[in-house]
Amino acid sequence: MGAITIRDVTRRFAGEGQAVLALDGVSLDIDEGAFFTLLGPSGCGKTTLLRIIAGFERPDRGAVRLDGADLVDLPPWRRPVNTVFQSYALFPHMSVLGNVAFGLEMQGVAAALRGERAREALRLVRLEDLAGRRPAQLSGGQQQRVALARALAVRPKVLLLDEPLSALDLKLRKEMQLELKRLKAATGITFVFVTHDQEEALTMSDRIAVMEGGHVLQVGSPREIYEEPAHRFVAGFIGETNFLEGEVAGEGVVRLKGGGRIAAAGLPASGSVTLAVRPERVALVAAEGAQLRGRVLQVVYIGTDSTVMLDTGTDEPFTVRVQNREGGWQPPSPGSTVGVAVPADAARVVAG
Amino acid sequence: MRGWTRGRGLLVLPAVLVLLAFTVLPLCIMAYVSVLERGTYGGVEWGRHTLDAYVAFLFERDLDDSLVLNPDYLKIFARSFGLAAFTTALCLTIGLPTALYMATRAPKRRNLLVFLVTIPFWTNLLVRTYAWILLLRNNGLIDKGLHDLGLASGPLDLLYTPFAIMIGLTYTFLPFMVLPVYASLEKLDWRLVEAAMDLGATRVTAFRRVVLPLSLPGVVAGMVLVFVPCLGAYVAPELLGGAKVLMIGNLIQSQFGAARNWPFGAALAFALLAIVLLAMAFYALRFGAAPGEEKGR
Ligand SMILES: Nc1ncnc2c1ncn2[C@@H]1O[C@H](COP(=O)(O)OP(=O)(O)OP(=O)(O)O)[C@@H](O)[C@H]1O
Ligand SMILES: [Mg+2]
Repeated sequence: MGAITIRDVTRRFAGEGQAVLALDGVSLDIDEGAFFTLLGPSGCGKTTLLRIIAGFERPDRGAVRLDGADLVDLPPWRRPVNTVFQSYALFPHMSVLGNVAFGLEMQGVAAALRGERAREALRLVRLEDLAGRRPAQLSGGQQQRVALARALAVRPKVLLLDEPLSALDLKLRKEMQLELKRLKAATGITFVFVTHDQEEALTMSDRIAVMEGGHVLQVGSPREIYEEPAHRFVAGFIGETNFLEGEVAGEGVVRLKGGGRIAAAGLPASGSVTLAVRPERVALVAAEGAQLRGRVLQVVYIGTDSTVMLDTGTDEPFTVRVQNREGGWQPPSPGSTVGVAVPADAARVVAG
Repeated sequence: MRGWTRGRGLLVLPAVLVLLAFTVLPLCIMAYVSVLERGTYGGVEWGRHTLDAYVAFLFERDLDDSLVLNPDYLKIFARSFGLAAFTTALCLTIGLPTALYMATRAPKRRNLLVFLVTIPFWTNLLVRTYAWILLLRNNGLIDKGLHDLGLASGPLDLLYTPFAIMIGLTYTFLPFMVLPVYASLEKLDWRLVEAAMDLGATRVTAFRRVVLPLSLPGVVAGMVLVFVPCLGAYVAPELLGGAKVLMIGNLIQSQFGAARNWPFGAALAFALLAIVLLAMAFYALRFGAAPGEEKGR
């Protein structure tokens, strides 16, 4: 229950002057009971995809299925899918309880049972004490939880959440992230979560789809997305990454544009490649005999780590992250030349 | 008090002065006129006080000088209220969908539509009402058109009826319904409608449960803006009702004109004012809190 299949969905908006291709042939499989995240920069089509699943937009082309049944022709009120809106969209003229009971009322649940189930949903988000208030009398975090309770009260098969935490401050956001995970575990409902915050995506999700410009670039577990980015954009959007351009120079070796040769896995037989290297996967070594050499530009202390920026003869500085262990490490002075050791499994070939 | 906010009360001074000079003062004069004796050739006998005018509203003097109830004026009041109520209902029926349509267009388009709604204001009310005479009279556009289409036989006699008055009033006051309703719909957060539909409400239910309650202030404002001026309307009943159908406005006018009974005209005006104020007070007490605000629980 609650598995979503999206096939080749395309949606074009007739904008001012030229049309915007908000979604361009998007296909996704969302398993039932998954915490699935759509991650991407502003304007990449996340909201549009969510609205198509909810029924507020029609795809120009393509199919949306829920447990095998076609959704495209169903109006929003007939879909077993509910949305938590970014703006919360609570009804200002109804009490908290009235808001939460609204969906049940629409389902024709008898008044007595309705109140009970609405209270139950409020208990789930720990707001039962505020049932009599109006939305305007609640804090942002409380409104957020009412919106959650309202969507969960009708027991949908799928819950859609459009950047539900982006309006909250950092502390509250962390709290709500845990709360969402707890709710997900307690209800077993499929969550489709939209965010442009990569850290949020990594910590919350079972699976992540990284989107850009109306395309899905990569789908995978947080670990796969972070450690095995298939696309230059994915590697750059999630976490910090150094990109190295070079030519394949024999079996498993790349000659870099700025000088130096490093080993990498999964290389094509020949031609130019782009390698993505995470700053924390490489180490500083003595300059003599190192695969890659660079002049120290700057050392930045950031608490648990220090970042060392190197000029390796390319346009962009190359970043190395070193953990600040007790006593152990003497930072190199700016201007000196150091070597970088790049393990073969730390350099990944990316497309794009 | 903080120094810089102190002078702010002065900003309303011009409005207060205008209201005092042109509303409160004339009302006081009228109040005084209504308790004076009438002059033989119009005007009043200054300094000779009597409540005759108010008595005459409900009673007439029999030959033997005893008072008998005379419902004639009450009937005119009742007719005016009925016509005003029907007109308000008609304006609401036409105005609400219109406003809804306008508020759901693209922003640029909306400005154009608001502009179109206000176009009738550019022409004098008398001219517009005369136009209705041409449309409604026997052998006028509507009468003739229906005959030519074979949909009617014999003169329709549309003009000089309460129906004609209602058409004229609806036409005149429709913008006063459309604009406030539109203003409140335009501010409405349409994501709430999506939220309602998301939770299982059909379009109609979403309208009834979300759009209507949240646009109620505009609807109420529109109803007041149509109903109250309709009650005292003068031009439409005079021109479209002929001499046959009197409304309060014409009655009052005739007291100051042909009947030369100023005190009675003033008393009628005050009776109307009292009724309207009572109705408004009742409304304010009954539905006082704006929707979305907490009603005292
Ligand atoms: N109703 C619309 N009319 C015209 N263009 C639209 C409409 N809705 C979305 N778009 C365009 O489609 C593209 C995708 O929009 P969408 O709202 O899906 O982005 P998003 O990924 O949710 O971005 P954000 O993170 O800023 O919310 C954007 O270029 C946007 O301008
Ligand atoms: Mg969005």
